[in-house]
Amino acid sequence: MIADFSELVRLFPNALICGGVMAVVCALVGVFVLLKRVVFIGITLSETAACGIAGAMLLGLPPLFGAVALTAAVVAFLSLPWEKGPLPRDALLGILFLAASAASILLVAHSGFGLHEIKVLLYGDLILAGPADRTVLLLTALPALLFLLLFIRPILYAFLDPEAAQVMGVACRRWELAFFFLLGLVVSAASKSGGVLLVFCYLVAPPAAALLLGRSIGAVLLIAALAGILATLGGLTLAYGRDWPANQTIILLACALPAAAWATKAVLQRARTARRRAAKEVRK
Amino acid sequence: MKAAVLECTGLSVGYGAEAILDDVDFSVAPGELLPIVGPNGGGKTTFLRSLLGLVPLRRGRLHLALDGKPPGYVPQHHRLDPLYPMSARAIVAMGLYPELGFWRRPDHHQRRRIDQALEKFGLGGRQAKHFGELSGGLRQKCLLARAFVTGADLFFLDEPTAGLDAASERWFLKYLVDLNREQGKTILMAHHRLEDLSFLADTVCFVDRGRVARIPAARAARPSEPDPQGGAL
Repeated sequence: MIADFSELVRLFPNALICGGVMAVVCALVGVFVLLKRVVFIGITLSETAACGIAGAMLLGLPPLFGAVALTAAVVAFLSLPWEKGPLPRDALLGILFLAASAASILLVAHSGFGLHEIKVLLYGDLILAGPADRTVLLLTALPALLFLLLFIRPILYAFLDPEAAQVMGVACRRWELAFFFLLGLVVSAASKSGGVLLVFCYLVAPPAAALLLGRSIGAVLLIAALAGILATLGGLTLAYGRDWPANQTIILLACALPAAAWATKAVLQRARTARRRAAKEVRK
Repeated sequence: MKAAVLECTGLSVGYGAEAILDDVDFSVAPGELLPIVGPNGGGKTTFLRSLLGLVPLRRGRLHLALDGKPPGYVPQHHRLDPLYPMSARAIVAMGLYPELGFWRRPDHHQRRRIDQALEKFGLGGRQAKHFGELSGGLRQKCLLARAFVTGADLFFLDEPTAGLDAASERWFLKYLVDLNREQGKTILMAHHRLEDLSFLADTVCFVDRGRVARIPAARAARPSEPDPQGGAL
């Protein structure tokens, strides 16, 4: 295992860097996606980014430009006050997801690319990430991460209790919109090198594990980032050693993390209860 | 006479086609404790929320003299999602947000104020507990502590005693009266227990069917009497 990892570091350093950056940034943003209970927006934006990449490929534009432009348009569309509309926001997200999924395949099919390109676009292949992917990710994801960490409180308060936050002077709508644009940017940059499924996995699985274990927002963010890195490094090493597809191995490992976190939490709770009982008996 | 801390003229708000408040003229003097009463669905919560600017006005003008200090606010029903990894202390600390610096870290003096608010509302021993694991009454105390840690001069409280046990409710109402009399804080409070009204104030604000009127507290305590539309006020 250690030998596999050393070889991986030597042969695929970009995959490790891109995977690590994606894991950390998507996991941190994903904590807020889960807290806001808008998981479906994660997969919809991932599909939208893929559709934007496909459209850009067809038009001969930079893929990131297509992804960012389309996700920004969808975020702006979703930010309209749909609560007062005749359809719930979830229904709109569902329709957008379906349209983006179908459109991305149609666009790639018309571009003259083959089945392999479609597979790479939809499922991605982190192991193939190159220096250009690394640069794009570092230039987009790291400023996004900095923004999130600097403005964590207004975003958190705007999500937790929008009315009270607004009375305190937090511009809730502005922060919410900024967060979703940031999510769109992160998803767009990550989708290009990681693929839709992996990005969605990072947005959901590590934050879910972290929310089961963490008792404060700081702890949750730290655990989510570590869980994302663990799944990425473990998944890439396993995939390399056993010649498995990298993305799917990372995803399966990441999906096991919430189950492991749940089991750990149950064991810790049981131990705490036993300790309390023992302390009571000693007092008696 | 001191200038009103809150003044609205011709205020009209509503949801969809339904008008909740219609052409309301209302003002509050500094240092007033004003219970807001009325039947269920009469518009008390909408009235409070519209005074805070949380409901878009259809018509009218609203002016709050805040001197740069946001009001303290306790919303009706704690709708805070228990999924959030926030301790009781973190919820109370949220109240200091407007006065924190760029890094949003409370200084020593602010941390002491949080400690005092937690102690005052009986949360001292439970401050590290996850908000979602607290009972309904303790959650309500968290939200009260969050509003009062601000040191605001103006408070909007929407059914602040909901979920509190009888002893805590009595203590809290006395705390409000003391705060009003000793520190001159202005307090607007939607309240459903009519028997407390005379203890709280001489005059109350009665809200029903789009109308708002001030009536004597003793009269509001007799539920069959107050009717701002009946022309007797």
